[in-house]
Amino acid sequence: MAAVELTSLRKSYGTTPVVKDLSLSIGSGEMVALLGPSGCGKTTTLRMIAGLEVPDAGKISIDGREVDAPGLHLPPEARRLGMVFQSYAVWPHRTVAENVEYPLRLKGLGRAEREAKVKQALGWVRLEALAGRRPDALSGGQLQRVALARALVGDPRVLLLDEPLSNLDVQLREELRAEIASLRSRLGTTMVYVTHDQAEALGLADRVAVMNKGVLEQVAAPQVLYGEPATAFVARFVGGANVLEGVSDGTSVRIGATVLTCEAPLTLPTGRGQLVVRPEDLSVTPGDGPLLTARLFLGGATEYHFNLGEHALKALAPASAELQMGSPARVTLRRARWFPL
Amino acid sequence: MRRLALAAPLLLFALLPLGRLVAEGLGHLDAIATAEARRALSGTLLTSSGAALFAFLLGLPLAVLLVRTDLPARRALRAIFTLPTALPPFIFGMGWVALANPKAGLLNLALGEGTLDIYGSAGIAFVLGGCGLPLVVLAASASLERVDASLEEAARLCGAGPLRTLAHVSLPLALPAALSGAALVFLFSASAFGVPYLLGVTASPPTTTLTTHVYGLVLMGHGGLASAGAIALVLLTLASAVLLASRLASRAGRVRLSSGKGIKLRPLALGPWRAPLGVAAIAIAGVLVALPLGAVFLTSLEPSFGRLENLSLQHWDRLLHTPRVAEAALRSVGLSLAAAALVTLLGLAYAVGRTRLGNVGRALELAAAWPYAVPGTVLGMGLLLTFSMDWRVVIGGKLTFVLALANTLWLVLIAYTARHLAFGVRHASDGLSQADPSLTEAARVCGAPPLRAFLDATLPQLKAPLAAAFTLTFLTCATELTLSVLLVPTGQDLLGTVLFELMSYADPAAASVLAGGFVLIVLTVLAGRTLLVRRPA
Ligand SMILES: Nc1ncnc2c1ncn2[C@@H]1O[C@H](COP(=O)(O)OP(=O)(O)OP(=O)(O)O)[C@@H](O)[C@H]1O
Ligand SMILES: [Mg+2]
Repeated sequence: MAAVELTSLRKSYGTTPVVKDLSLSIGSGEMVALLGPSGCGKTTTLRMIAGLEVPDAGKISIDGREVDAPGLHLPPEARRLGMVFQSYAVWPHRTVAENVEYPLRLKGLGRAEREAKVKQALGWVRLEALAGRRPDALSGGQLQRVALARALVGDPRVLLLDEPLSNLDVQLREELRAEIASLRSRLGTTMVYVTHDQAEALGLADRVAVMNKGVLEQVAAPQVLYGEPATAFVARFVGGANVLEGVSDGTSVRIGATVLTCEAPLTLPTGRGQLVVRPEDLSVTPGDGPLLTARLFLGGATEYHFNLGEHALKALAPASAELQMGSPARVTLRRARWFPL
Repeated sequence: MRRLALAAPLLLFALLPLGRLVAEGLGHLDAIATAEARRALSGTLLTSSGAALFAFLLGLPLAVLLVRTDLPARRALRAIFTLPTALPPFIFGMGWVALANPKAGLLNLALGEGTLDIYGSAGIAFVLGGCGLPLVVLAASASLERVDASLEEAARLCGAGPLRTLAHVSLPLALPAALSGAALVFLFSASAFGVPYLLGVTASPPTTTLTTHVYGLVLMGHGGLASAGAIALVLLTLASAVLLASRLASRAGRVRLSSGKGIKLRPLALGPWRAPLGVAAIAIAGVLVALPLGAVFLTSLEPSFGRLENLSLQHWDRLLHTPRVAEAALRSVGLSLAAAALVTLLGLAYAVGRTRLGNVGRALELAAAWPYAVPGTVLGMGLLLTFSMDWRVVIGGKLTFVLALANTLWLVLIAYTARHLAFGVRHASDGLSQADPSLTEAARVCGAPPLRAFLDATLPQLKAPLAAAFTLTFLTCATELTLSVLLVPTGQDLLGTVLFELMSYADPAAASVLAGGFVLIVLTVLAGRTLLVRRPA
């Protein structure tokens, strides 16, 4: 049975549709990342699962029980979920322990039981030593740990996380990311994780749901998503691929005035379409093709930028002393995908 | 149902009195054709425009100096110049009586008898203008703080000296805000009752204003009540016209200021003018604020009015042992605490209502604002006219409920609460708009139903603004005069009315003890709040 089942969800603010006909099934114990650019509707979707927004249409069930359906809306407090907010949302007027204790109080647990559970939850996020502290004496990383402990302490059916790391600096972000991963393997909690950072999504989740303008483009395991993007948008957003419109004759693609040839054994369907090629799947040698407009030395490899009329093309290749700025180069395709138009 | 619960008190205690006042006033328009009424109107116009002019001419340059320059002791000066907003103008009036009473005033003792005379229109305008000064200074400062310093620097680069730069660049930018501040001073002065009474009634010839005229008519008993209503209606019309005109003017004259972010406020160096201008500003602060307050304290220590030898605490001792004063103090404190609590609670309810109830909520908020926007005399007259008789609620032929408020402290409580409700609504609204919604949502997801989440997660965020509304209401009500003199039940004096009576008729030394005590309390509260606010930063 699915832990969370979203069926044909819709939500508009005023006349602007924000989530359009979204269906997604999340298995028990699974961690699904909702990935997409800013404003695509990730937070709105998560808030509908939490019960903080009411869908305009569609259904939501949690553990097989409907919580949202036409004429039905279970309020957030009745859904038994945990949620971690981007802004931490740790109550400033309560100590760390009191914050974590709050959901247990609402459940009406006895004092001894509450204390034991708070201690355990603070142990999960390694904050036992700070139990008596006030939030204004904590760092961002510690605040987010408090929020995690508070969301997990009541044994939620699903843990919802809305960009939990985006307010932290790079080092803390990696630290906390590892911590979330280890918590998950320890507790086995079902998680929905919203982010716009593809590394976070690919690194943490069992499956990644890529959203664009309120629509799910692809839901797949990270390797599948990376290796077999279902749409040009996914390829560009997840792998940083070049997406170029052109005409293919099977072994070469004409983009405007430029021709990119396939290296054997690669062949492409013929006709008009979108060429999707990752920077690392291009070979660059001096020749008579597009002009080199920029060169960024990245250590292990060099990023080359070419000008193809209205498009820019990015390639990642070993450093070559022969390629000069402003000089033409020959660019060939080792691997590529083709989406006919 | 919730709408009705929120709307009922406003309908009964704010809108109904307004309607009643208008109806009653229109029915007795002959009262405004009398010679006294005309004298009162011209008295109000004269003293209020005088006060507005004085506050404007002094406040605009002061704001420029305080905000845009390296004037010495700016912070302290700003605090001193805004102090009068926290104290009743009546106390400043008392101070000036002690200083510039033609016979025994302290200044006249030094300068020669009869040099200064605080009684009459000029004196009233001067005292009210000094008390209203913060309105101009604060309004002009607020707009100057949003002006980009590069405008001034450009003038300096073009070769203008510091004074010329201030006069040609900064001053004009603050002009519209200072003008609307001056309009507020006009309203404040037209609404004032204590100062015009203290300095006007015994002047020769006597100066009356609309507010003191209303009081005189009310003292005549039931016969005068309707005429008083008509005069209050004139006051309401005048106040509304000024308010409307100033709104329109400020909309037309709005200057484009920098959008607010990323402006560097580099104070302009005054150079050689720094010392003399600093001395002048400190002297003005001394004359307008320190001098009258000091005179109040001195009077409370003198053996008799205007005699500076043998200072002692005998009046303090005497007053503390006067049961009538102690009872009045107790009554006032009780009423003010109750009003402050009601203002805070109702303000919170209306602020929440505004966010939940859409247009109805906004209408309620407007209705809650009017008792503060109009002169206190207008509200007082409205309540007096409406509740001078009992209200009997008859349902199904049976008498179910009698609302007999006339001559009770309940009516005073209602007046205090209605008058200051705007404080509560404004502070709670500001607090709510700054509160972090995710704190409340986190509580909901943790399992808290809406009300519980509001109490546990939203309310704690509103502590500071609600405490401010409570304190402000309490302090204003504790010595409130304008509403109190109209509504106080016979034999149940309040602090404000005792102070008024002692000062106007019998015992200025005792009045000074009361006023001095009150000033000490306010200063302590303000200092405490400043310390509390500064600590976390
Ligand atoms: N309460 C609201 N009222 C009106 N519009 C809203 C509201 N909340 C969100 N929107 C709009 O809905 C769209 C989707 O918002 P949402 O917060 O779900 O995006 P998101 O994918 O979480 O983006 P981000 O990565 O920036 O957080 C945005 O265009 C946003 O402006
Ligand atoms: Mg978001």
